[in-house]
Amino acid sequence: MEISSLKRESGAGRKLRSQAVHRKQRLFVTASLTPIFILFTVFAFVPIVWSLILSFYQYSPLREESPFIGLQNYIRLFSDGLFLKSLGVTFKFVGAAVIANIIITLLIAIAINSVRFRGLRSLFRTIFFLPAIAPLAGTAVVWSTMFNYNNGLFNMILAQFHLEPINWLGDPAYALFSVIMMTLWADIGYNVVLFMAGLDSVPDMYYEAARLEGATRLQTFWHITLPLLSRTTLFVSVTTIVSYFQAFPQFQIMTKGEPFNETRVLALHIYDQAFSNSNMGYASAMAAVLLLIILLVTMIQLRAGRSQWEH
Amino acid sequence: MTRRFTWLEGVIIAILLVSAAIMLLPYLWMVLSSFKSNLEIISSATSFVPQNPTLDGYRAVFEEAPFLTWLLNSAITAVIITAATLFTSALAGYIFAKFTFPGKRLLFLLVLATMMIPFQVIMIPTYLIVSKLGLINNLAAIIVPSLISSYGVFLAKQFIEDIPRDLLEAARIDGAGELRIMWRVVMPLILPMLSALGIFTFMAAWNNYLWPLIAINDMDRMTVPMALVFFNGAHQVNYNVVMSAAVLITLPVIIVFLIFQKQFIKGLTMTGMK
Repeated sequence: MEISSLKRESGAGRKLRSQAVHRKQRLFVTASLTPIFILFTVFAFVPIVWSLILSFYQYSPLREESPFIGLQNYIRLFSDGLFLKSLGVTFKFVGAAVIANIIITLLIAIAINSVRFRGLRSLFRTIFFLPAIAPLAGTAVVWSTMFNYNNGLFNMILAQFHLEPINWLGDPAYALFSVIMMTLWADIGYNVVLFMAGLDSVPDMYYEAARLEGATRLQTFWHITLPLLSRTTLFVSVTTIVSYFQAFPQFQIMTKGEPFNETRVLALHIYDQAFSNSNMGYASAMAAVLLLIILLVTMIQLRAGRSQWEH
Repeated sequence: MTRRFTWLEGVIIAILLVSAAIMLLPYLWMVLSSFKSNLEIISSATSFVPQNPTLDGYRAVFEEAPFLTWLLNSAITAVIITAATLFTSALAGYIFAKFTFPGKRLLFLLVLATMMIPFQVIMIPTYLIVSKLGLINNLAAIIVPSLISSYGVFLAKQFIEDIPRDLLEAARIDGAGELRIMWRVVMPLILPMLSALGIFTFMAAWNNYLWPLIAINDMDRMTVPMALVFFNGAHQVNYNVVMSAAVLITLPVIIVFLIFQKQFIKGLTMTGMK
């Protein structure tokens, strides 16, 4: 510490010194933020604005000219059967997968938390979390073979019970269900861990009080655990909804949107339009719709979050 | 939990054991299938356990595919992205937390706003920009757009704000430059947050599929997840080969996870990151 020497400095010297420090700090801020914000500009701000601009053009990298067509892309969306179908499939997927995910992960978290042996508890948590760290693309490849009609795991199991084999990924009645099953396997680990942390943070005194009042387990769960978990549940639901709206690898790898576009979610449709059909302007208009949906979900979360409380 | 309910606990543990077994089943399938022979997979009499276990699948992976190159590509891109993200996030977070300058609020809001933008929205312009920069089909195409993270900046700012100003002033009086203060004072104090950010940045980079799929064409430049899918396309019938590749890719990930599990779980609950 040089405090003693600093104290001996004259008033003028100190002022000069503080000016020098100030200049140095300004230089530091400018020199550090400039490269970082160049990157943010080129790879975040510009792409967002450019994407919105592209949605007003008939842009294709293959064509010479790309005329401005105003709202044409957006008008076309509303009469494009494939897009509307894709929108419907997306909502079906997100709705079913999110609800199943929340119920399953909440039940698993409660079950694991009720186990009395620490070692067993962490073993269960590890097993349920394990699939979440593997690349989703790899998981999709492995599950494709499990869904294989002729020699996949699921039809082997059905055969054990003398049941007819199912065309898991090729039958329009099963394809989306199959992808949801795989998505849940790959993804429940995160939410199990988050719910377990949420359950841990509920103070024991609430349960004590409920016990003294003579509440049953179900009553305790319904009136204490669930309300006190509402913030965790809100957070988990919103992050899961937002991430499922963008789910891509499992669809691109396992079904490619087939059969009969029954699994053609928006994320896949945008990718196909932009990079297989080179309709980048039209794809940008679809992306804008996806953006709008996700912004709405986020806004609902902010609204709901304001009126929520947790002990 | 009172003793009276032991039977219920038993039922819960039994249910958990069954579900855990179901969770592990795909791994078992993957490992067992990787030891099947080509012939066995094509034949209709194929079963869960390989009849004549062979290493043909593994041999094919190393002979037919630049497997080590894929691993190296993934390692290079993920390490650079993680190191850069940690540095830029800590630096920007430090500045947003502890300095005042004109336009600070607006800049920070802009960074925050990019957090909720789905990748589908920016992927087309990013592709156009990266190809204008001449980086398509180059590992740099994977690295450069990911050198920064809006979520990282946000997290770093939140954690650095809690550092007392006096601590930084003391270092300044000692004559330390700002970069040095960041390196020696700020970074060590936010180490738990940085390790969480590091783990999840690395994982996101290692597992990323969509962006490499757009930006890379050559087999020699692919990263692991994309390569696996590409490989799958070429060996649709002989899935023992693909399963062998999947085992080789999954095994190190599981080992790394088991080692860092504690930090992993703590980081997840601390940051809510995916």
